[in-house]
Amino acid sequence: MEKMDLIIASSSIAEAGVGCWDLDSGAEQLRYKSCASTPHGLTCVGQRFIASSQLREPSATSGSVLYWSWIKPQAAVKSFPSEPIKPFVSNSVGTYIVGGGQSGDIYLWEVETGRLIKKWHAHYRAVTCLVFSSDDSLLISGSEDGCVRVWSLITVCDDYESQRASHLYEYSLTEHTLCVTDIVIGQGGYNAIIISASEDRTCKVWSLSHGRLLRNIVFPSVIDAIVLDPAEHVFYAGSRDGNIYIAALSAESSSSSSYGKHILSSLYDHSKAVTCLAYSIEGNLLLSGSEDGMVRIWDPRTLNIVRMFKHGKGPVNNILVVRRPNFLTLGAFSNSHGSSRRHGSLLPPPLEKYVNMDKDANKMGVIRLPTACNILPNVPFNSSHILDEHVKLVEQQGSSAANEMEVERLKLENRKAMHMVQQWKKMYGNLHEFCVNEFLKGDDKGNID
Amino acid sequence: MARSKAASSKKQQKQRGVDFKKIKRKLGRKLKPSKNATNTEIKSKAIVLPEQSVASEKAGLAVSKKGLTLKELLQQTSHHNVKVRKDALLGIKDLFQRYPAELKLHRYVVIEKLRERISDDDKVVRETLYQLLKSVIFPACKEDNQGQFVSLMMAYIFNAMTHLAFDVRLMAFKFFDLVVQYYPPSFSLYAEKILQNYEDILRKNQCYLQDKGKLKSTFAGLVRCLSLLPCNKRNIETCEKTFSGQGILHAFEPDVPTESAGFSPIIKKLKDLVPVLVNCFQEFIPLVHSMLLLDTQSFDCMHYILQSIDHAVGFFIYGIRKGKPSLHGGPDGAIWDQTISSVLLKRFFNMFPLNATHNLSEKFDDRFFILNILIAEIFLQYSEWIYPPAVLLEKFLEFIEDALLGKICSDTRSSKAVWGKHVLSLLPFIPKLIRQVASDWKFRLLQAFTMTFEDCSPESSLKLACLSAMEEMLVPTDEMVCPDASYPLFEHQIIWIRALPVLLILLDDKHPSSTQVVLHLLLRLGQRACMNSSFAREYDNIQYSLSKFYSSCQEGGEICYGPFVRLPRDSQELSICGLYYFSYLDQLSLKSIASCCLRPELEPFVLFRIIEVLHSSFNDGHIQIADHMSFFVTLLSRFKVFPENIYPAVENDVKISNRGTFKSLTNAVCSCLSQMGDDSLVFQILEKVILDQLLSQPPLDNACAMLRMLVSQDSKPSRLSEQSISALSKYLSGYLIDVVHCIPEDDDDTTESARIQTCCYYFLPCFFLFDRSHKLVKLVLMVMGSLITESTAPLSQNYIQYAMDRSNRINAMVSTLLLMHKDAKLQKIISLFKVETVHILQIIHSLQSSENANMNIEERHKIQCACDRLKTITGVMQ
Repeated sequence: MEKMDLIIASSSIAEAGVGCWDLDSGAEQLRYKSCASTPHGLTCVGQRFIASSQLREPSATSGSVLYWSWIKPQAAVKSFPSEPIKPFVSNSVGTYIVGGGQSGDIYLWEVETGRLIKKWHAHYRAVTCLVFSSDDSLLISGSEDGCVRVWSLITVCDDYESQRASHLYEYSLTEHTLCVTDIVIGQGGYNAIIISASEDRTCKVWSLSHGRLLRNIVFPSVIDAIVLDPAEHVFYAGSRDGNIYIAALSAESSSSSSYGKHILSSLYDHSKAVTCLAYSIEGNLLLSGSEDGMVRIWDPRTLNIVRMFKHGKGPVNNILVVRRPNFLTLGAFSNSHGSSRRHGSLLPPPLEKYVNMDKDANKMGVIRLPTACNILPNVPFNSSHILDEHVKLVEQQGSSAANEMEVERLKLENRKAMHMVQQWKKMYGNLHEFCVNEFLKGDDKGNID
Repeated sequence: MARSKAASSKKQQKQRGVDFKKIKRKLGRKLKPSKNATNTEIKSKAIVLPEQSVASEKAGLAVSKKGLTLKELLQQTSHHNVKVRKDALLGIKDLFQRYPAELKLHRYVVIEKLRERISDDDKVVRETLYQLLKSVIFPACKEDNQGQFVSLMMAYIFNAMTHLAFDVRLMAFKFFDLVVQYYPPSFSLYAEKILQNYEDILRKNQCYLQDKGKLKSTFAGLVRCLSLLPCNKRNIETCEKTFSGQGILHAFEPDVPTESAGFSPIIKKLKDLVPVLVNCFQEFIPLVHSMLLLDTQSFDCMHYILQSIDHAVGFFIYGIRKGKPSLHGGPDGAIWDQTISSVLLKRFFNMFPLNATHNLSEKFDDRFFILNILIAEIFLQYSEWIYPPAVLLEKFLEFIEDALLGKICSDTRSSKAVWGKHVLSLLPFIPKLIRQVASDWKFRLLQAFTMTFEDCSPESSLKLACLSAMEEMLVPTDEMVCPDASYPLFEHQIIWIRALPVLLILLDDKHPSSTQVVLHLLLRLGQRACMNSSFAREYDNIQYSLSKFYSSCQEGGEICYGPFVRLPRDSQELSICGLYYFSYLDQLSLKSIASCCLRPELEPFVLFRIIEVLHSSFNDGHIQIADHMSFFVTLLSRFKVFPENIYPAVENDVKISNRGTFKSLTNAVCSCLSQMGDDSLVFQILEKVILDQLLSQPPLDNACAMLRMLVSQDSKPSRLSEQSISALSKYLSGYLIDVVHCIPEDDDDTTESARIQTCCYYFLPCFFLFDRSHKLVKLVLMVMGSLITESTAPLSQNYIQYAMDRSNRINAMVSTLLLMHKDAKLQKIISLFKVETVHILQIIHSLQSSENANMNIEERHKIQCACDRLKTITGVMQ
């Protein structure tokens, strides 16, 4: 089978742009120009195009978000949100984009129209990372104030609900003492685990269902990036001392590790600080980006480097592993391939700056992007608790309807029974008459005899 | 014998018969027995039979002091004689104290027998049994499966609770109290029945005033039971937070008896119980008014009753909370029965405040104060759910204000202590109360609260309670408010915030746990301080008073370290984290932090944390680049490396030398510098500062660190200006010679490689400089040449600190050249400057010839050696 994964990496220095390599062959693809992305600020929207929020001066009054289509190196669409956006992610199908602002606000845009659906004050200080849960129903945000918050997008968008409650978030996890640097969430719907890394040199493992701290792991250095092993046995933590530590989750951990409790071993390649990590499930490879501008690819089983890409001089601060869009698989970007041109260049409008209040209420439906990938996007899962709520609702409604039906049925039965009673009465009357007649006849006969 | 007795009695009868006539008899003679008399004498010998019954064999068995076995004792416990029963119980106690193992073996048998005595008619027996259970049996059976043990007893306890005799019933409650003490879950198992029994005894009993002593223990038991109920206070939330870091990640929840299942019957019973308790309390009131003194007995009873009501109300509110999560809902009176509410409102709260009618001594004043505080606490719990009528609220608010201000209590020490202890329980309610009441009261309460906070001593628990109440008001967990000047609490918040650093310094390192709380609060404040708000400005201003917490510079340049350096590591970490949240850090604060960093006793871990946090603070633009840079330069130039002599072998031993720490410090600083971005700009700032520092001749280690810092920002070709190259060349020549001189040469081959390695560590930055600027090499070689002839007088302008002696100097110089020559890259560079090298050789030669007479043999030999070694180099050069 043909390997489909592409690596996309960006840097905080604009000249390096966005690098793009084939994971299997190592061949460099098109390089997208002039991108100084923020940490956690690069995303691939529904495999259709690349988007990134740009580093701005802290004093800047507006942010900047750029879109690149797959086939053109120049940024195609530029938007300027009302403040510098730091982390920037889209959900897995690419319907929504979420950005976290310098002031602690979170912005939720609809991709296809560029409409700013919701903006809410989420943190006291700048948002540093944003992650969607595996079913896209929850959003987890980390902030400079050391706080990790879990948001249910349904609650957030529900105006009625959000006005009633004293707070919007589901959980506010406030154990970190310094800026949160990275967050990952595991599989398993509502029973997943969240891992957050912080500048206080710790990673904390939380339970999503209880909002409770499960484990606290202290590292020898600040952890800037974490990524989960697909089986969730361990997680990899890229630190500022250049090591990638392997920390135990469900794996057995001996207490006598040289690095500290729960830390099993480390990957080291004399590099500078590790700034970002990614995991390719298809190739079972670990990818790390470093301060020295290199992207290293590791085999997590042997702990050896498999391949290295030179991204540029500046520090790499984002790596993504994405599935290759199908129009890119057929050779190069041939102009003759009409559909590729159409697919590639069709970009949605820029993101709006403000929430537009006087939009038509009836235009609230979700607008999905035309699919640009070679596999049909999976139907989004609803998380179990929403399903439960639905089921309960249906049950409640259903039971009242059923009651009515039951009443109808009973009425019908009653009518039938009444009918039957009538018939029996009639029959009894007939019989009685018959008997009396017979008796009288007999008497008559006797009299005659 | 029997016979003779009979005979004598016969004679007596005879005597009477003859009217006291004395008959003389001859002494020593006896009547001979008649001949036909049967010999009734029985002779016997002891017959020894082997013991047949095992039960009576006591040799191997545990026996009590009186020699009775356990079985016998147990049998005796049901003896009809009171004394025997009591003795048997005492015997059992004695036996178990001697043989604890017996108890383990027979505990079920024992308890099955003993429980019958719970409803014993005799008071002494019951009391003895109580003592036996309390002192011996329960403590010993603590670890075992107590459920069965308790269930064996409970039937009898319940039986005794409904006994006809009042004393037995009271005692039964005492027994139950004992059970609960040792096995708390037993209350929730039998809660309904127990509460019913309590209600019965309290309702029917009409003799409070006589039996206060007995009732007191009953009330104490009730308080203990009710305190087991989950209540509305904060400690529950905190204890849930503790987690075990060891366990498996996805562990199952431990099986705890689910609480909420059995709640509704308890609630129902409690609803019946509360009015009864209120009745009881009311019956004490006339007593209080009539009697001159509030005696200890009735005070204790009243105290216990109030505590019970408090727990009950707390439980109601907990139940309401649990049923309806605070997310969705206003007050819901589902559980608040109308009757309870009205009982509390109309009958109970109206009794407030309890006041002595007569002017009593302060001790009794205190007692009334304690009771009043408790009533106020119940009221506050109650008002959290149902808004009380305004008149009542006013009355209570006034009391709370007075209590906080300490107006009610007299000024003696003992009553101050009582005040502190009991005001404590009001403080957790203050934040909520302040949110609820009208603005004028808000102001008055805040005023009183602030007074309390300021007046209490820093280490008292009152201060801690104030701090946690402040935390709730300053950084509320469930709201997203950015406090600002318009905020009603703002004025007081400012006072509190300003008090925190002062408090930190007052606490010093004597109360680490309090310090931890304050630091935590400060950190939370910093995290919540929104940018550009006046709140944030206030937080930024803390740093001025906080700098004393780190260190302060006294007149005369002496550094006075603050409590920071003496605190445990986790407190240190917390305070360091707080630094990150200042929106700017000024020079003064950085200076005080830097002098803490330079303290040799400081743990390296903390040092690196400080650098890390300050660097991220710099990255976020909170520290000026010049300040940040000078912080680094200060660290590297002032750090005291010990010991001063460089021994490669001992470097890694932390106790002997901190050179290893200094090396990693240098690395950390260099990597921070390299992350700063614009290298050339950073280099420009560094160049001048570092050259100034170098020319003031710091110790070699610091010089090396600074050179490394310079090199880390330099590029090829060098960015150094002409001027600094010439200055540097002068310094470097001295530096290189000193390094070789200071690392002692050894004849041993194994240490030789270590020596070269150490030298290389110091040479490496120079090598980089040489590689980047060939001009520098040339200048250094020229300076070296001139150094040979220069006199060793201290006035001369060179930068040699150690190698003063001329022969040593020449020797070290040649070794330096040799070392440079060994490096492959440097070899190429030096070979470009053959002229200068040869020039040095010539100078040495001329020195040899001209001053031969002035030198002794050793000197001459040394110079000759050096000369020979140098020749080999020049010979190799092309």
